[in-house]
Amino acid sequence: MASISSGAGAAALRRDFLGSALESSRPKNVIPLHRSIIRASKSSPKLPNRRLRVAVIGGGPAGGAAAETLAKGCIETVLIERKLDNCKPCGGAIPLCMVGEFGLPLDIIDRRVTKMKMISPSNVAVDIGRTLKPNEYIGMVRREVLDAYLRDRATASGAEVINGLFLQLDTPQRPNEQYKIHYTHYDGSTLGGQKKTMEVDAVIGADGANSRVAKSIGAGDYEYAIAFQERVKIPDDKMEYYQERAEMYVGDDVSPDFYGWVFPKCDHVAVGTGTVTHKSQIKQFQAATRLRAKDKIEGGKIIRVEAHPIPEHPRPRRVLDRVALVGDAAGYVTKCSGEGIYFAAKSGRMCAEAIVEGSENGARLIDESDLRKYLAKFDKMYWPTYKVLDILQKVFYRSNPAREAFVEMCADEYVQKMTFDSYLYKTVVPGSPLEDLKLAINTIGSLVRANALKREMAKLTL
Amino acid sequence: MASLFSSPLPSTLLPTLSTKPHLSLKHPATFLLSPLIRRQYSLFLARSSDANGAGVAAAVEDKVEEKVEKESGEGLGSNGAAAAAAAVVIEEPPKFKDPRWVGGTWDLKQFEKDGKTEWDAVIDAEARRRKWLEDNPEASSENEPIIFDTSIIPWWAWMKRYHLPEAELLNGRAAMIGFFMAYFVDSLTGAGLVDQMGNFFCKTLLFIAVVGVLVIRKNEDIETVKKLIEETTFYDKQWQATWKDDTPSGER
Repeated sequence: MASISSGAGAAALRRDFLGSALESSRPKNVIPLHRSIIRASKSSPKLPNRRLRVAVIGGGPAGGAAAETLAKGCIETVLIERKLDNCKPCGGAIPLCMVGEFGLPLDIIDRRVTKMKMISPSNVAVDIGRTLKPNEYIGMVRREVLDAYLRDRATASGAEVINGLFLQLDTPQRPNEQYKIHYTHYDGSTLGGQKKTMEVDAVIGADGANSRVAKSIGAGDYEYAIAFQERVKIPDDKMEYYQERAEMYVGDDVSPDFYGWVFPKCDHVAVGTGTVTHKSQIKQFQAATRLRAKDKIEGGKIIRVEAHPIPEHPRPRRVLDRVALVGDAAGYVTKCSGEGIYFAAKSGRMCAEAIVEGSENGARLIDESDLRKYLAKFDKMYWPTYKVLDILQKVFYRSNPAREAFVEMCADEYVQKMTFDSYLYKTVVPGSPLEDLKLAINTIGSLVRANALKREMAKLTL
Repeated sequence: MASLFSSPLPSTLLPTLSTKPHLSLKHPATFLLSPLIRRQYSLFLARSSDANGAGVAAAVEDKVEEKVEKESGEGLGSNGAAAAAAAVVIEEPPKFKDPRWVGGTWDLKQFEKDGKTEWDAVIDAEARRRKWLEDNPEASSENEPIIFDTSIIPWWAWMKRYHLPEAELLNGRAAMIGFFMAYFVDSLTGAGLVDQMGNFFCKTLLFIAVVGVLVIRKNEDIETVKKLIEETTFYDKQWQATWKDDTPSGER
């Protein structure tokens, strides 16, 4: 995965993107004095005798991070999660920066992946990870462990965690009134739970790809991929191979627009694949993935089969009045790699920070402009990352020749260094211009060669 | 029983059987004789009817000399038993094998002709290998890692084979367009070639003609270029949607 844009390019991207964005934003409740500046809502009423009350719907990484930041900011926080021991279907990979930024204890991480193998459609295998320093790794976590840890931290900071299912949201009739949340409380006493309501000032929707909060604010739909995964328990000697290694298989047989993977988990491997455009053939793609990894997972037993939608791009509307979406509910999953855990947690934290700031630690009511500040900050910080990964997906996941070129490029050390630096630390690093030029020439060369071979292949055996 | 398998099936289901001789003419050294080829076709059919789930098309390459010989030995039994045995024994598609493919890469010494490596043959061999694997995906094995990199084939070999013919074609098109446009403009405006080159509008037309010849090489390219332009900005539009105040449309 090459880092195509240099620092100047990334800055230009940000300028172009946000220049138009800021000019066209006109939040509903605040009358801006200048058309291009979002005013802080000092005109919002001070809350009498109570603190701001915010409900976080969904207790995954996004919800947990948001709830913790809100609670630390002296805001009355309630987190509603429908399944506290949810074992989510997920790759489970977190970048190094997440461990530092969120202060994750190292025992949460089951495995440290330091080697990755990329395998092309014609089985050319390239090892990447030579450039990693000894303290750098991709952390593999179990989602139930990570999610529970973040929720517990939120509770420790003062948030209230409720085991319940969010049903619907009643928007207030008059401005500055509270939202009414309908939910089913699973308190163990009644079978099927008890229907309850709650009044809150703001809502953070962190309830994932099938978000109900998103539906209730009419956020619109996104295109999504189906990720299908089988957890396979393989014999110990085969597990040795995957001790610190993850594999990525590319090819039309494995997926027409994504990749197949074998990721090591605590004591088994997860073999899976995904697709956006050919969802009905996902089982065939999974069989093809298993075939490609056959030698290495032979003798394994499938202990679990799971599937989940993965958003491809953000929803058309991510914020409405005092309701904001974060994480998968907002659609913050990168292209090319399909990474979402870090962005979910980061967006949850950013949204919560914006609420804390806009409400002056819970003293004032917030409004949409505060939530839009979170959007602006998130978009500005991560737009280059998303755009670069989108370009990579468009260029290298197009067709088999493009994938062959992709794997060929991954053998280059400069590419590996740039890829890992930008993945592990989530910044698009500007490399040296000369190396970038060499990389561009090599990329074009690889693509041209692979496409020439494809033309030869088309002439054979029609 | 060779006739039992080969005569009815290939004629109805495999019209490409007739193209086989063409390929064997191209590379006589590696291809087997026709009778063995036909037997292999029928066996592939029996296998593909098992619905592997990996979308295996009837493979045409018969690099697997050992496998075919094994099947011909089994075919010596009775008809029915041979049919059942053949269908059951072949559970996995035959692996790619080629005498010049050694240790996960092409052995360049085997491609030598008059002391120099014949790069065209290397390109052909790699194309066949990729085609084979596209039709019959194989498990990636740690014992025989594939390390071939297309960049070992020098740039001038690629250029001679792919760039030069295309360049000749495009230059020819440009020359024809240029000649007739120059004549046409001259007949309309009376400006000769030298006068046309001094005029800004004519130079712009020349530029458009050159770019057009380069970018639009097939009829489909017009659609492709339009789609590409839309694609480059699509993702940006999806991200900016939240900043526009109009009601969100459905799936974009």
